[in-house]
Amino acid sequence: MKIFEQIVEATVAGDQERCVALAQEVLDSGTDPLQAIEQGYTKGMAIVGDKFSRMEYYLPELIACADAMKAAMDVLKPHLGKNQDSAVQGSVVIGTIQGDLHDLGKNIVKTMLQAAGLTVHDLGCDVQVRSFIDKAEELDADVIAASAILTTTMAYMPDLVNLLGDMNLRDRFKVMVGGAPVTPDYAKEAGADGYGENAAEAVETAKNLVQSKRGGKK
Amino acid sequence: MIGFWDVYKRSETGPFIKEQEFDRQIGTVANQLVQKHGIRFDREQVIPSDDGLADKVYQAALELFLELGIYCRDTSRLIRFSPEEVQWALKHAPTTVTYGQGPDTRIMRHRRVEDSLPPFCLNTPVGCTVAEERFVAMVQSYAQEPLSDTFSSAFSQTVGGRPIKSGTPQEVEAAIWNVVKLREAARAAGRPLIGIHNLITNAEKTDATLAAIQEEFGAHPNDGLAVAAIAEMKADYERMKKVVFLDQKGYNRYGLYGPIMGGYAGGPEATAIVHVAHHFLGLLAFGAQWHDGFPLHLMQGCNSTRDLLWLISVTGQALARNTHLLIGVSPFTAAGPCTDMVVLEIAATVLTATVSGLHLNLVAVARNKLPERSSGMEARIGAETAYLIAEQGITRKQANEVVKKILRCYESNIPDAPQGKRFDECYDLKTVRPTQEYLDVYDRGKETLTKFGIEYRD
Repeated sequence: MKIFEQIVEATVAGDQERCVALAQEVLDSGTDPLQAIEQGYTKGMAIVGDKFSRMEYYLPELIACADAMKAAMDVLKPHLGKNQDSAVQGSVVIGTIQGDLHDLGKNIVKTMLQAAGLTVHDLGCDVQVRSFIDKAEELDADVIAASAILTTTMAYMPDLVNLLGDMNLRDRFKVMVGGAPVTPDYAKEAGADGYGENAAEAVETAKNLVQSKRGGKK
Repeated sequence: MIGFWDVYKRSETGPFIKEQEFDRQIGTVANQLVQKHGIRFDREQVIPSDDGLADKVYQAALELFLELGIYCRDTSRLIRFSPEEVQWALKHAPTTVTYGQGPDTRIMRHRRVEDSLPPFCLNTPVGCTVAEERFVAMVQSYAQEPLSDTFSSAFSQTVGGRPIKSGTPQEVEAAIWNVVKLREAARAAGRPLIGIHNLITNAEKTDATLAAIQEEFGAHPNDGLAVAAIAEMKADYERMKKVVFLDQKGYNRYGLYGPIMGGYAGGPEATAIVHVAHHFLGLLAFGAQWHDGFPLHLMQGCNSTRDLLWLISVTGQALARNTHLLIGVSPFTAAGPCTDMVVLEIAATVLTATVSGLHLNLVAVARNKLPERSSGMEARIGAETAYLIAEQGITRKQANEVVKKILRCYESNIPDAPQGKRFDECYDLKTVRPTQEYLDVYDRGKETLTKFGIEYRD
């Protein structure tokens, strides 16, 4: 079996030890680490994401697979050299919005985004609108992603968009929203650029927003 | 015995653990217990008749609770209990809870598995978002149902035309408005003394909640409040503040638990264990008099799926058989009001709950997500069906055959369930009566369900 196939298999199995060993094998054999990431670990995580969407995997399995990939990435990343940037699909500042303490959905989206190759900075829950913006500025992020599970906290989503406008930063960041009470109509009304009904959709939305922000077609 | 201040003290002194690590521990420990006790979800046994299975789930939940305890988010510490403390709390848990006054006094009692005592029906739109001008009519449609033992609130999009935002002065104003309008709806329903089981559903912050629960705004002595755990197995000081207030004021309280199947715990078996463990959390940390669960499917946002019905049944049986706790469940449907599917989903969940020893918090429809999609008719469908099931003495074995027939009618449609009609399309807003169209939908559902084995009266 080729090494990329073995990496896919180990990632899907959430076998951290094997993922790390294979990463070392990639380096030892002189295989391109970027290729190993793209055709091995990321491909494996895409399968994991599909399985999770179909509920063949549950969150504990998703986390185990993401951990396995992360451990392998830690081995490979220092050897990416000038390809470091190519391995990063974009950056997202994520959090559960002001007043909201429920973070399960946000944590799933975070894990899936990381697995898809995006750099994610997690601000946790009950994040002030201003804090999203400050962190996005500090990291020069592509996307701000806010979630809410309560109708009373969802009401802060338009504030996030409005404050970006008032700070003359609206064009600098894409905003995406999601969470139990959030609908596509509400996302539009709030002025967000994107919406994710579920984790899989959120990943697609984030990727599209990054591409759009960076001048891609989508 | 263990009191609230002992719990509080442990939140300051218990073992430190990072939240992410605790989340992982939930999955690890629950799944180890699934293996240890040999707990298996069987797609053909949606409502299992196996007492041993229910007892295994109960035992596993107890073991999980004793091992992990409760995570306090404010201090990142575990609040743990000894087996003796848990047993003491279970032994001394309330055996009844009284809601309402005068002619609308209702007493909730423990239900056994396959009990002929009908479920206590706490009817509510479960915080469904509604326009301010339709709020009273929507909640009135629940309060006026004859089988409503108590009722509770929708969520007004605005108060005084202003949106409600958590943690703002407007949240305090809105919470007070909520209590005033709920009592107004009770009067409009001709039941001024009916109990309101959850006075505040539109405030996340405790200051707003406490400001609003006052007699002068319409709160009555036998009304109550939910104290919700954070999924999974977590509490915080914001919630524990409510406990102190309730201890002093004497309003009823219930624990509210919404474990997510597919989330931190994992599959249906592990989530069942964690769901039962939440009842220990509510009893010991919140002093809950009764317990309401709304376990949900991670992807579908409802609990009318086959695996969630199994979870509802097995957890209800586990607690009904091993404790005298007062326990209930909130059915969450995928379909919205005035659809054939919503009648079937409600019937399936109510059937499962009724034979499994549970009370009912009726009903969250359209995944509790879409504005204006909720009406008293859904509560009527649930309550009438529950009464019939209890009166007819349907056993778990019979119920399992019926529920599988019902499931076959709708389960493949869950991902794309119809949104249904808005409240103002389901009810005549002047009379607050359901439309003939909705009554016809219900009648069609009754015909189908009668063929399956639930005998509706004419």
